[in-house]
Amino acid sequence: MRRERREQLQTGLMLAPSVLLLALFILLPLCVVFAYSFALRDPYGAVLPGFTLDNYRELVQGVYLRVLMNSFSLAAWTTGLCLLIGYPVAYFIAFKAGRAAPALLLLLLIPFWINFLIRISAWVVLLGRGGLINKALVFSGVIDEPIGMLGTVGATLVGMVYAFLPMAVFPIYAALTPIDRRLMEAGADLGAGPAETFARVTLPLSLPGVLAAALFVFVPSMGVFAIPVLLGGGKDIILGNLIVQLFLEFRNIPVGAAVSILLLGFSGLGILLYMRALRRVEAMK
Amino acid sequence: MSPSLEEPSRPKAVVELKGVEKRFAAFTALRRMDLTIREGEFFTLLGPSGCGKTTTLRLIAGFDLPSEGQILIAGQDVSNIPAHLRPVHTVFQNYALFPHMTVLDNVAFPLTVRRIGRAERLERARAALDLVQMGSFAARKPSQLSGGQQQRVALARALVNEPRVLLLDEPLGALDLKLRKEMQAELKAMQRRLGITFVFVTHDQEEALSMSDRIALMKSGEIVQLDTPTGLYDRPANAYVADFIGETNMIPARVISQEGDVTLVEAMGTRLRVSGNHGHVAGAEVQMAIRPERVSDDMRETENSAEGVLADVEFIGTDLRMVYRMTDGSRVVMRQQNSGRAVPQLGETRRLGFRQQDLRLFGR
Repeated sequence: MRRERREQLQTGLMLAPSVLLLALFILLPLCVVFAYSFALRDPYGAVLPGFTLDNYRELVQGVYLRVLMNSFSLAAWTTGLCLLIGYPVAYFIAFKAGRAAPALLLLLLIPFWINFLIRISAWVVLLGRGGLINKALVFSGVIDEPIGMLGTVGATLVGMVYAFLPMAVFPIYAALTPIDRRLMEAGADLGAGPAETFARVTLPLSLPGVLAAALFVFVPSMGVFAIPVLLGGGKDIILGNLIVQLFLEFRNIPVGAAVSILLLGFSGLGILLYMRALRRVEAMK
Repeated sequence: MSPSLEEPSRPKAVVELKGVEKRFAAFTALRRMDLTIREGEFFTLLGPSGCGKTTTLRLIAGFDLPSEGQILIAGQDVSNIPAHLRPVHTVFQNYALFPHMTVLDNVAFPLTVRRIGRAERLERARAALDLVQMGSFAARKPSQLSGGQQQRVALARALVNEPRVLLLDEPLGALDLKLRKEMQAELKAMQRRLGITFVFVTHDQEEALSMSDRIALMKSGEIVQLDTPTGLYDRPANAYVADFIGETNMIPARVISQEGDVTLVEAMGTRLRVSGNHGHVAGAEVQMAIRPERVSDDMRETENSAEGVLADVEFIGTDLRMVYRMTDGSRVVMRQQNSGRAVPQLGETRRLGFRQQDLRLFGR
């Protein structure tokens, strides 16, 4: 009995720092935001204690629904593109790269060592009228005059895919590498061509990784604000910059908090859907 | 051994390798191999790991392409045809069952990819499962089966589409001894019944001897001897074969003279007559080989004999394995059936007989 208690105490002590960290820096701020989302405010933007559902009622207005749709569509496009580009990259690294695989994975990681804003600013330079891409296109004669790429949806998507691609590659790679190559050989041996072996064997076995990749890209994509502002010109308001605006420009902290909680809800929903899908995929094994 | 092998009209070739060579970077896995596998035979590629037997199988399956030479299956040159278009199926060493499919879907896979209708597909898959006595496991996932059961499912999956040739890559390696013996008998019976050509890869010589019609014994990328099991055992082409297949006494000997069809040698401190002209010149240092079960202490059968001291006795149940130290210091193992006679005492000196037709000579 005493030994058991001592072990419990040891476990507790070892867990304490991380639990404390999570509570202090994640749970507590979350509670504050949650409380703010029900609070009142005075005309000058100061938060007043109280309880009201008005902040949430405001969100069902058309404007906010459009913002939500904008965010959703941007996240969906980003997720789709990242999976479409990320899967072949992960497949190549897992099965074809051989000894170059660790180096390629490292290359995917290196950009993370540089500040996110700096990397996106680099894209502003690249995509600008006097940027490298325009210069190269003009020089090679593809176009006569620099074209305006900045401030378009395309530029936003380029930035989004650039930022989130590794999030898609890594989980898919992690799901592909443990697949026994003999399963693919077995597919070929039993009469399935490369495409059919992929569709019937490799892809189904890598689905957990694809689902994880979709989650890892979709959830943070819903909350971005820097990329659409810097590259897309911030023309379409999305949840991320709506929150920034509500907090900093309109000084409407309670509604900003309500939008934040809404975003959190969507992310939670995404994770929930992922868990359910994962359970179904795992049940196939 | 199949009697058909002795018939003048030999069954036609189903797999042919012509001057096939396989190189991996600096390593040559297979050198200029010529091999003909006949329709309906149980053919075994035998050898230690790294001898090229699995490489040969992978070349026939189409997982690897030969660096040189030609591979023919049923008369068609398949050297550059990918695996999925070849009329052969493989039973993999680790079974390679698809973990996300049920047993039934696994077995139906070759039919699914051939776009065979659902009803026929399921019927044939069920029949194949019944063939390996796995019919009641159709709805399970591979992970819910034991190794032996997975083995049976893999066999059913490879047989369901009735391939011209079935390739088996050490399929029994992961099974325990008892199950392995059972599966050996079952595989052999199934091969006879279905009449499908089996190409079997193993490093287990006993397994090869008990199952095969013919065996190709391989060493470092080459076939050392291609023969029937009895041929391989009784007439090994060289010392390597004699040593690899079964247990063999290798006794140093010196050739004294050649008298017609008999070679006279000096070994174990005495002179012995060995059947056959082995083409060794007088004075040549050679290895004399004899199987432990052909050594006898019954002098009626032989004119060859030598004296030795019993150094060790091993009781194996059906047999007694006795180790004698001969007068020249060489070791001779004698294997005798446990007939219930008194076991000789350690240290006892006895005379051992060697029939001249059981002795073989190999250059050193």
